[in-house]
Amino acid sequence: MIRKLAVVGLGMVLMAMTMAACGGDDATPKAEDAWARTSAMMQDAGAVYVTITGGDTADRLVKAQAPTEVAAMTEIHETTMNDEGTMMMGQVPAIEVPAGGTVLLEPGGYHIMLMKLAAPLESGQKFDVVLTFETAGDVTVPVEVREQE
Amino acid sequence: MRLRAALCATAIFVLVLAACGGEEAGPAGIVRDPAPEMAALSLPDAANANAEFAFKADPGQLLVVYFGYTSCPDVCPTTLADVRSALEDMGDDAQYVDLAMITVDPDRDDGERLTAYVQSFVADSHALRTDDPDELWAVAEPFGAFYEVGTADDGTVEVGHTAFLYGIDDAGLLQLQWAFGTEPEDLRGDFTLLVNRAKENRG
Repeated sequence: MIRKLAVVGLGMVLMAMTMAACGGDDATPKAEDAWARTSAMMQDAGAVYVTITGGDTADRLVKAQAPTEVAAMTEIHETTMNDEGTMMMGQVPAIEVPAGGTVLLEPGGYHIMLMKLAAPLESGQKFDVVLTFETAGDVTVPVEVREQE
Repeated sequence: MRLRAALCATAIFVLVLAACGGEEAGPAGIVRDPAPEMAALSLPDAANANAEFAFKADPGQLLVVYFGYTSCPDVCPTTLADVRSALEDMGDDAQYVDLAMITVDPDRDDGERLTAYVQSFVADSHALRTDDPDELWAVAEPFGAFYEVGTADDGTVEVGHTAFLYGIDDAGLLQLQWAFGTEPEDLRGDFTLLVNRAKENRG
């Protein structure tokens, strides 16, 4: 029920699939299905959610950058819940991406926080976010703004 | 031992009955038993010229309450969008559900801001805020809600809060609460259950 970070070890199956699809040259993590929720009125912060699939070797997502025309600051954040059920949100230095594994940035878990939005995010709006991985370097992912997951 | 066996048998019997006999599945939310009485509590409603808003649904209706803040990028918009989605799926019955959001961050959420925020999810919903921390806590405690607002080393404001939705009936009893991540379909099912119960009680 609680949406949390899910590290799904798809292992061999996924590796076989990606190798078949990309001819084996797959050192770079893939980022797909990136979206952000339409802003509510007065909401000055937003979140980008994305599915990251690891390449042949483990890597770490160390930075994310949205265009400054969208948000003045972009940070990697995690929402966590303590034993009493209080949900806290804070910046994290990096997100581990295991080789061949999938990391979901989704509501209630990891997300890319857009701080000081320049304007409300509108449904249908599109922008790119550059994800920087420690080893693989920059990966640009298109983000779509919509109401729901 | 014999007592325990008997209890166990009874429990299994009840479970089987519940599984096989009931026409109506239990709620997806967490049942508050005994249901806390909230009707005597109130907060000013910034969406209604700061008139006191009592925690009690209108007759035959359901009141859904949420503690949050507008600078919340992840949890609050997710939950409120799920409420909106559940209400959209309820069709005409959505008119019997009222939403009230209480800000846990009144320093940054003024009345105008809070009203615009919550009403952009659900029209006509209530924006409850007070500048008095004691008044806020006096309301939060019986709900079982908790929150803290602090400032990090880099100056950014950090807010922690319980992220439940609370369902209050027209007698002011807190019947159900829903954890973060409850699917909109489950919210819709429980909202409908409570609305139908409220309608039946009114004959």
